Amino acid sequence: MGEVILEMKKIDKSFPGVHALNNVDFEVKRGEVHALMGENGAGKSTLMKVLTGIYTKDSGTIIYEGKEVEFNSTREAQDAGIVIVHQELNMVGHLTVAQNIFIGREFKKGIRIDDKKMNEEAKKLFDRLNIDIDPTMTMSDLTVGKQQMCEIAKAISHDAKVIVFDEPSAALTEAEIEDLFKIIKDLREQQMGIVYISHRMDEIKVITDRVTVMRDGCYVGTLITEESTKDDIVNMMVGRVIYEEPKTKSQVAADAPVVLKVEHLNAGRMVQDISFELHKGEILGFSGLMGAGRTETARAIFGADPKESGDIYVNGQLVTINSPEDAVRAGIGYLSEDRKRFGIVVQKTVAENTTMADLPNYMKGLFIDRKKERDVARKFVDSLATKTPSVDQMVINLSGGNQQKVVIAKWLCKNCDILIFDEPTRGIDVGAKNEIYKLMNKLASEGKSIIMISSEMTEILRMSDRIVVMCEGRKTGELTIEETTQEKIMNLATRDIN
Amino acid sequence: MNLKKIKEIPIVKKLGFNRIVLTGVLVLMYVVLSLIVDKFAGMPRIMSALNYAYFLGFLSLGVTFVIATGGIDFSIGPVMFCCALISGYCLTSHGVPMLLSLIISVIVGFIFGMFNGYLVAYWRVPPFIVSMASMNIAKGVASVFTKTQSVSWPQAAKGGWFRSLVKVGKFPVGIVIFFAIAIVCSIVLNHTKAGRYILSLGSNREAVRLSGVDIKKWEMLAYVICGILVGIAAIYFVGAYTTVQPGYGDQYNNEAIAGCVMGGTSMAGGLASIGGTVIGVLIIALLQEGILALGFTKDYQLIITGLIVIVAVYADVMARRRNN
Amino acid sequence: MEKKKVPAKIFKQEVIVFLVVIALLIFFCVASQDFRKYTTILTIMDYSYYIVLMAIGVAFPLITGGVDLSIGTGLVCYSLAGGYLIMFKGWPTGLAMIVSILFGLAIGTLNGILIGVMDLPPFLGTLCTCMITRGLGSICSKNTGISWPTTGQPGSWFRSIFKYETAGGTKIPLGFIWVLLLAVIMHFVLNHTKIGRYTIAIGSNKEAAILSGINVKFYHIMAYTISGLFAALASIAYSAVFKTVLPGTGAGFELEAIGGAIIGGVSATGGAGSIIGTFIGVFVICLLKTGLPFIGLQANWQQIVTGLVLIGSVMVDIIKKRREAKK
Repeated sequence: MGEVILEMKKIDKSFPGVHALNNVDFEVKRGEVHALMGENGAGKSTLMKVLTGIYTKDSGTIIYEGKEVEFNSTREAQDAGIVIVHQELNMVGHLTVAQNIFIGREFKKGIRIDDKKMNEEAKKLFDRLNIDIDPTMTMSDLTVGKQQMCEIAKAISHDAKVIVFDEPSAALTEAEIEDLFKIIKDLREQQMGIVYISHRMDEIKVITDRVTVMRDGCYVGTLITEESTKDDIVNMMVGRVIYEEPKTKSQVAADAPVVLKVEHLNAGRMVQDISFELHKGEILGFSGLMGAGRTETARAIFGADPKESGDIYVNGQLVTINSPEDAVRAGIGYLSEDRKRFGIVVQKTVAENTTMADLPNYMKGLFIDRKKERDVARKFVDSLATKTPSVDQMVINLSGGNQQKVVIAKWLCKNCDILIFDEPTRGIDVGAKNEIYKLMNKLASEGKSIIMISSEMTEILRMSDRIVVMCEGRKTGELTIEETTQEKIMNLATRDIN
Repeated sequence: MNLKKIKEIPIVKKLGFNRIVLTGVLVLMYVVLSLIVDKFAGMPRIMSALNYAYFLGFLSLGVTFVIATGGIDFSIGPVMFCCALISGYCLTSHGVPMLLSLIISVIVGFIFGMFNGYLVAYWRVPPFIVSMASMNIAKGVASVFTKTQSVSWPQAAKGGWFRSLVKVGKFPVGIVIFFAIAIVCSIVLNHTKAGRYILSLGSNREAVRLSGVDIKKWEMLAYVICGILVGIAAIYFVGAYTTVQPGYGDQYNNEAIAGCVMGGTSMAGGLASIGGTVIGVLIIALLQEGILALGFTKDYQLIITGLIVIVAVYADVMARRRNN
Repeated sequence: MEKKKVPAKIFKQEVIVFLVVIALLIFFCVASQDFRKYTTILTIMDYSYYIVLMAIGVAFPLITGGVDLSIGTGLVCYSLAGGYLIMFKGWPTGLAMIVSILFGLAIGTLNGILIGVMDLPPFLGTLCTCMITRGLGSICSKNTGISWPTTGQPGSWFRSIFKYETAGGTKIPLGFIWVLLLAVIMHFVLNHTKIGRYTIAIGSNKEAAILSGINVKFYHIMAYTISGLFAALASIAYSAVFKTVLPGTGAGFELEAIGGAIIGGVSATGGAGSIIGTFIGVFVICLLKTGLPFIGLQANWQQIVTGLVLIGSVMVDIIKKRREAKK
């Protein structure tokens, strides 16, 4: 490890209603891999976005190579040698791999873009990184994992001195992760400063030199990886929050009836021959890598996307589900991973969102019965402990956790017995997270049946009665909570790859 | 800061700050025009402006529903002409009774609404493409149907009783009907299932769909409502201006949309105000009357309305940016 | 093997459209004797120039995911402005042309600023400039029809750029060569220069383009400036082909141009497109326009047919995308 190349001091950043970063300190040295850890919503990504000029900080200083700097765009940060490999892929689908890698700084021959040279350079880059991708392929034709590799290659191809990896392994197979680690070790040899954001404890132990932990937008502390145990890190991450006890055995009665049975469901590449059963009062976890087809399976069951074949039985009855309308009629509710896009109508009030799925029951003749609507909304605000000044509040003004509760209220209002929670705690702060867990356990104990899709291993282990693991659009295994270990899930989640 | 306080006063909040300002603009425009233009004050000018406001108002009310879904329809002007031409041709050349002709006008509007709505809602054809195509189809159909002849509707004395829908003697019946229909529109938009779904899907289509709502049906309904109102607009157009010529009508698109966005309906969908649209339309109508009274040609109005829309939409864009 | 997948895809669309053009030609030749004449070719060419030019230009805003509705009335406006200077101010033709082109560039840039910088919805921003150019055109020309110098008059040289008359009286549609040349140049611009590359990037994933440090606003404006420039070039072709330009016309031209572009494979939702395809696509529209009267469908049917063809081609595009998504 060399001297400090980048230092962030007392960084503060607020968004309307959220104090996202509160006096955070962070530093990276030359030739070190520095892990940045914390639960969802701890502020890791925000901190990195401040660093790379996507967000502007409210206060604090950034010192880079001994000078105070201020980046106003990613371009400025790039030019200075700080690049980020984004968690969400930022690729132009219609262009080729090489065109994407060199976008914004194309090689030119006169006014003509020299695509040939760009292809050659991309090839060289891939050779150096030992990645096998044809640079002339169209980006949208690549798998998610390969796209991620391109993203990494693009970051490296900038003359970078500091590279930020924002959860790079979420979409990668085991073999790809090994390649990635080789690349990262190479970069470390070349005296680059590397920031590595991840949830996976095992990776942190393997690849990083130091760990900085954040919680609730605050800096908690920095440890040297070698000298600390997993528990040290977890304790720092979780802090005062007491989570629901992890389940050691299933809470479902042995004779609980099957409420949902899916047989041989097919819907494109991402959903191939999926069969499973869901029992009354059960929380069925769906685990797998990013892009394993879990969300697609849920959407196909819910009728949100067309399916090719497969039978769905609800309470033993064969049902035809061709649209969300049909699914809701059958008593299925879907809570999307992306609430803002798929869950709530932000410009509408809490009351209006609550009755969205069940409006026909809140009519007085031709007109909407606003009083009845508000009453039922109030009932759910009380029973779910939603924090809102009134039911006439626009949903846009609520925090993530409370928005999630409004979506839950929507389905409870419609009296849905089968609930599909897709990444229920994504973008929710740590305190609210546990409330959602409690709520899910309560719902299950009241006889609702829950499918929970989650990419957070701890969440899967903490909540599920049974676990279905998917890989590349197929179901690769089913585990009871008693027999489950992290390793078993990871094995199944990467079984079909290569 | 003070402005914020004013906006919080209950009565201001209830009526809408935006609408109060617009009403102020309307009154101010009238006062200024009365002062600088000779003989502007008085009934004749008001009646003339109202004639313009009626048909434009119905167009504007119609397009408010479409914009509320986050779509757009700029075929309304030519479709209105198509309605007036087809029904008028039936009346004058085929001897169809007056009442039936009026119904035909509304039906033609309805059919175009169905056509546009079906393509947008069920096929996801971008609204601007649908508008462009149906604008030309409307012009073509009208020309083919009337053999490229203009059509004149009968005067009141010669059996044109429909003109009493516009005015009886000196009393502007039209304004009563216009307000009545505007109130109905407002109730539909704010207090019925249709309105709730139209506004919600304008704000977040997918979320409403995933709530198990048949959004296609409701989105199409918005276009159908628009079509029906366009059919009514056609009646008021000929009631005021008697003659229609095939191949025209596009200039009214922009004015109708202008009335709508000025009144606070957001181009991004999800937010709409019928009251605002009504005031917006009255401003446009008064503006056109004023421009003519000042001795300018219609061309200046095109330019001014264009600029008004740009400013109004930009204000909406800025407001949304601030909210995010 | 996968290497050639992309160009093959684009190539296919162009070939299909070309076959449609041939099929239409054969159909009209079989259906009508009068169609099989040299003068028909001249008519088709006369109609094609201004539409092709507009279509090449409007392909750029379309690829960014926007649209330019102001090109039709814009064309008439630029033509009226230039013609007015020649007719009433005695300006030489060449100078008037430059004025027309500058006018087009200015309106195009204005559109670009409205959409790229001020974030107005493209159809709305350009609908406004459509109305504004219509008003400006009428005001410029004092509401009368304007004629650019006709053959025989001084300054009419520009007409022979498009239609050259030999000493023997044979008319040669020279314009085709120039228009094709411009199409090839713009094809190059779209596929091999920064302007084109970033136009595609904006239409495909604007967020990614911004994060790559591209000056997105500038290139967004450029797309509309190109559209304005080509509308102005189209106005010169229009003035050269037709005798009189009337104020208040021009609405509807944009439909033919946009229709041609979309038939030629430009995606109505942005991100992809081909200029050569656009060039061929316009001829589908022009053939229908000139051919329909020969089989007894009068001028007004063209508007209906063009509208339906536009919707039809977008629907084909949508069906194709749905199929691809299923895979």
